[in-house]
Amino acid sequence: MEKLITIYINGREYKVEPNQTIMQAADKLGFHIPRLCYHPKLSIEGACRVCIVEVEGAKSYVASCAYPVNEGMKIHTNTQELRRARRDIVELLVDNHPMDCHTCERDGNCELQRLAASMGIRARHFEGERKQYGVDVSGDSVIRNPDKCILCGRCVRMCSEIQQVHNLTQAHRGFNTVVMPAYNMPMAESVCTACGQCINVCPTAAFLEKNYTQDLFEKLNDPNLIKVAQFAPSVRAAIGEAFGLEPGSNMEGQLVAALRKLGFDYVFDTQFSADLTIMEEATEFLERVQNKGKLPMITSCSSAWMKCLEQFYPDLIDNVSTCKSPMSMQSAVTKTYFAQKLGVDPKKILSVAAMCCTAKKYEAARPELNVEGMRATDIVVTTREIAWMIKSAGIDFLNLKPEEQDHPLGMSSGAGVIFGTTGGVMEAAIRTAYELYTGQTLVDIEVEDLRGLKGVKEGKVLMDGQEIRVAVAHGLGNACKLLDTVRKDPGRYHFIEIMGCPGGCVGGGGQPYAGVNSIPLDEGALRKRAQALYDEDRSKTIRRSHDNPDIQKLYKEFLQRPGSHVAHELLHTHYKQKFPKGIVPKSSLQ
Amino acid sequence: MDIIKRKRAQAVARIISKGYLSTKRVYVGMATCEIAAGSKEVMDIFRQAIANGLTDVYLSQKGCAGRCNLEPTVEVVEEGKIPYKYGKVTPQRAKDIIEKHLKKGEVIREWLI
Amino acid sequence: MPKIQFKITLCDAPSCIHKHSKQIRQALDKELEKQGLKEKVSIHLSGCLGMCAKGPIMIVNPGYVMYGNLTENDVPEIVQAHLKHNKPVARLVIGEDHLYNRFFRIFGDVDFFGKQMRIALRNCGIIDPENIDDYLSLRGYEALAKALTEMTPEQVVAEIKKSGLRGRGGAGFPTGMKWEFTAKQPGPEKYVICNADEGDPGAFMDRSAIEGDPHTVIEGMIIGGYAIGASKGIIYIRAEYPLAIKRLEKAIAAARENGFLGTNILGSNFSYDIEIRLGAGAFVCGEETALIHSIEGSRGMPRPRPPFPSVSGLFGKPTLINNVETWANIPVILLDGGAWFAGIGTATSKGTKVFALAGKVRNTGLVEVPMGTTLREIVFDIGGGIPNDRKFKAIQTGGPSGGCLPEQYLDTPIDYESLAKAGSIMGSGGMIVIDEDSCMVNLARFFIEFTQDESCGKCTPCREGTKRMLEILTRITEGKGQPGDIEKLERLGTMIKKSSLCGLGQSAPNPVLSTIKNFREEYEEHIYQKKCRAGVCSSLLSYTINDNCVGCGACKRVCPVDAIEGTRKEKHRIDQNKCIKCGQCYQTCKFSAITRA
Repeated sequence: MEKLITIYINGREYKVEPNQTIMQAADKLGFHIPRLCYHPKLSIEGACRVCIVEVEGAKSYVASCAYPVNEGMKIHTNTQELRRARRDIVELLVDNHPMDCHTCERDGNCELQRLAASMGIRARHFEGERKQYGVDVSGDSVIRNPDKCILCGRCVRMCSEIQQVHNLTQAHRGFNTVVMPAYNMPMAESVCTACGQCINVCPTAAFLEKNYTQDLFEKLNDPNLIKVAQFAPSVRAAIGEAFGLEPGSNMEGQLVAALRKLGFDYVFDTQFSADLTIMEEATEFLERVQNKGKLPMITSCSSAWMKCLEQFYPDLIDNVSTCKSPMSMQSAVTKTYFAQKLGVDPKKILSVAAMCCTAKKYEAARPELNVEGMRATDIVVTTREIAWMIKSAGIDFLNLKPEEQDHPLGMSSGAGVIFGTTGGVMEAAIRTAYELYTGQTLVDIEVEDLRGLKGVKEGKVLMDGQEIRVAVAHGLGNACKLLDTVRKDPGRYHFIEIMGCPGGCVGGGGQPYAGVNSIPLDEGALRKRAQALYDEDRSKTIRRSHDNPDIQKLYKEFLQRPGSHVAHELLHTHYKQKFPKGIVPKSSLQ
Repeated sequence: MDIIKRKRAQAVARIISKGYLSTKRVYVGMATCEIAAGSKEVMDIFRQAIANGLTDVYLSQKGCAGRCNLEPTVEVVEEGKIPYKYGKVTPQRAKDIIEKHLKKGEVIREWLI
Repeated sequence: MPKIQFKITLCDAPSCIHKHSKQIRQALDKELEKQGLKEKVSIHLSGCLGMCAKGPIMIVNPGYVMYGNLTENDVPEIVQAHLKHNKPVARLVIGEDHLYNRFFRIFGDVDFFGKQMRIALRNCGIIDPENIDDYLSLRGYEALAKALTEMTPEQVVAEIKKSGLRGRGGAGFPTGMKWEFTAKQPGPEKYVICNADEGDPGAFMDRSAIEGDPHTVIEGMIIGGYAIGASKGIIYIRAEYPLAIKRLEKAIAAARENGFLGTNILGSNFSYDIEIRLGAGAFVCGEETALIHSIEGSRGMPRPRPPFPSVSGLFGKPTLINNVETWANIPVILLDGGAWFAGIGTATSKGTKVFALAGKVRNTGLVEVPMGTTLREIVFDIGGGIPNDRKFKAIQTGGPSGGCLPEQYLDTPIDYESLAKAGSIMGSGGMIVIDEDSCMVNLARFFIEFTQDESCGKCTPCREGTKRMLEILTRITEGKGQPGDIEKLERLGTMIKKSSLCGLGQSAPNPVLSTIKNFREEYEEHIYQKKCRAGVCSSLLSYTINDNCVGCGACKRVCPVDAIEGTRKEKHRIDQNKCIKCGQCYQTCKFSAITRA
């Protein structure tokens, strides 16, 4: 350990480690300096100036998020002058922000609100012109409301540093500065992958998912429709947070009960089709291995990753599995197999997905995923939206008696559960592929190497003497890193799992906002959510997808076998290169 | 150090070969500010005069010396004398400077800075 | 006729005559005759060269070799060695041939240049900037040769430190220390940057310096690269300076041709090259971290420091960034010595400073004065005072982020500390003279409008705060000022100054705070009496028709809003409710019948 240095905060002497910022040192000493643009996962911006402190000898205040501690440094965090400066800075933000808190989606969950309250802003001294740009609702997933933007730049850094999509940037200068996609493109035409991480890190409501709750309430009240729900693995691991529970509380049973109370006739589970995905994907993979097909094979569950692929890595399209995502598989079998079982016109079925994801809204609208000419998934709502609906409908979520999912599309193996966290798909696929390939049951089914929050994870499996090298990346930035390796060294891996969001689906763009004392995408919270899924896996007797009796039944009654013609028709799709505005086809450059 | 001295000697030789040691040297200000004030036209007048047979004059451009309100400026340098510096030179004035000062040695005092 | 090869200038002023300059002339004639050089050398007499203590003085051109303390006995040696064999007699050359001295040889313009001292601009207006030979002939690249052959990088840094040179971009950070920090950083990859992103409205120091003498900047940058161990220099210049860019490109190409850039410069094992990057003209890109972002291809926005560019700059590598004027001083310091340079100026600020003198002053233009020159000397001696017999009101230094200093500060000596103490800044060298016809509130409004417009939008105080200041100032100039507005401006201004991320924000309120401090009564008049004493704020004016009116109707015809009524040949009147205070009537009336108040 390095030698401690002495600093003084508000006149008291403290010994702290060197090579850290004032904010880091103060945090450990129990001084919470107010902050706004700072986020531990992102680069230091120093933009909002809320975290300023006074350092004796410095000619101006310094941003504590950026300024390193020095030996003998005398820091003041709470002088009257400083408090007033901070208060005025936050007031300036509030002055250029719509005064519509009561009608704002983030009312009660807004960092600016909390900050203004803690600064004691009770009057406005500097009111004047306010920005007025209007809302961009063009995208299927993410809506952008620059009027509410306070230009902290978290979304910009998230989009470029963590996701490496570089869709968002500040444009123009001075008071006219605004965050927008290149050339002020509508979100729908931009390179936005719809991952929704901008929403997660936004302190206000400048980014929101496109809200379908009113539409859904309307449809749920339509007696002519058969209302069928599915929900993603990580929704159950996170929805409790929207009701004040600690991260990692598994609310599966309560969620099933709540969905029924909301008016759904059948509550299925996306985990079921996660098992189905594994059946198809493992089969496809083995086929590629045995028939010397294109390797490495890359998973296709994450819709944000699919858009990223089509825009930035079109050369790798043939490497990507043709499997639809679990959500789309679930909807496809709902509108065919399940409709047949019920003996109803699939047009009468309302297929709703509650997802941790914003990009799934975009995915559901992709025409190539239609089944028999109709949308497979009619409405996608995020964890946040479904939580709001439950509250709005007056359902006492926390005190509900847990209920079970419906058959035949609601039962899942442990493998389907862990789809919700990074590495889970790969782990689930290995469990099945091993058995399909070797004919033997894999005993040690928990692949530790593929768990956890390391950006790119690698692992090896021996199948009948053949070494299968696998890799896992979560967050598009990490994915880009991994794929750049693949471009250079295509033979390095056989099988790759990519999830668009940090931590996988547990960190999805549709998950509950960080609460009062937490930060968005806190690693601890992501780990706890993931742990809830790993715990559920472990608690199940059936932990391999191919052992799921409902899956076996589905193949027997309807799909015949993995990779069959019917399966291909319903469960597989294709991707093609996309040129959103700002991306120029290589051919046109010559 | 020797290299630089040699280079300087060569440079000086090149300047001399261009006529630096002529009796009169004429410098026309050619910075953005001077050009904006019209020095390009003035320069053209001098170039033309030399093309038309004006001899014993070394013509060169120079940067802005800072006399912005009096631009374009033209200097006529004769060794050992304080340089004559003309301000607000128009093409017509340039012609007069050539005729009177350069050819006949009559300094046009009222235009000097 | 044999071609003249040398021109000799002999000082013919009383002091030198007293020291037998006439005899030297005779000896010279005799010796030239003897050596058969009479036809090849021309002799001229000059007025006082100002170096009487070392007289008699003789200057041999080309080369501007200055001999002093001459006696008749020295003449044969000079003729033999210098005029016959082109080898100057080193023992007779006088040391005071500082590079800046050459300037006055060319410029006899004593009114304007008398109090100036040209170091950075020493060649501007003297040499042909597009001809490297001109630069070479005036000891160009000699400083580089000296550094490479006679000095270690440490010695170069030490010389710069000794000179006391401080950054001329505005903040005044000691240049030598900056060089030392950067030189001490480990790693083979370092960068040198020349900040030529001059953005102050009305400032053109850098442009003129580059257009007039691009090589000195290049030479300075090569020396900087040698001192810190960099192999790449970048000149960041705004695209609005096409001529400067063209000359830089030409100069870089010529320097490459002559082996001053490229591999193994001048036979040493130092390799270095310079490239030009164009900026799109954002004012904030003059801030070093924003400039670095811009070179990297990102949006030009500053970032918090530390780390400073000297530790982590361009592409994360140690980077030495100085502005044009700073670089232009480097060759002089190396040739004439850091100690000599440190002898110019004041205790804390050494050398000279270039200013772009503008506004209500007779001689607008570029001036370079020794530090310690007073504002009064610049305005009244060099600048020639205020035109049209108007009264001096204030001087604004440091561009849009500087302060306005009233008359009582005119004797402030120019250096970083004194200007700061007076409530302004050195800045990069803008200097605007304001006379009594200017309204200080309106002036403050103009500058804050500029900084608000140019704010990069990153940090809250600058982006939002200057906007609110602009709104308050606008309403004051429109006659809608409210009690408490001055206090609000002070509160915002102080906060913005102390809390902003970069220098742009930290200095943006200066024009407002300094005009409130020095001209508070003007603000109060605007707010409480709805009066603008300078008659600038049009909303505060009222136009009335007095008894001079003959009823010609001219005002009525020009009024764009039909606010004037009256029958012909009778006194007209202006409907104050309709009047938009455009002043058309005032300008049209031939009978002084319209009163403006």
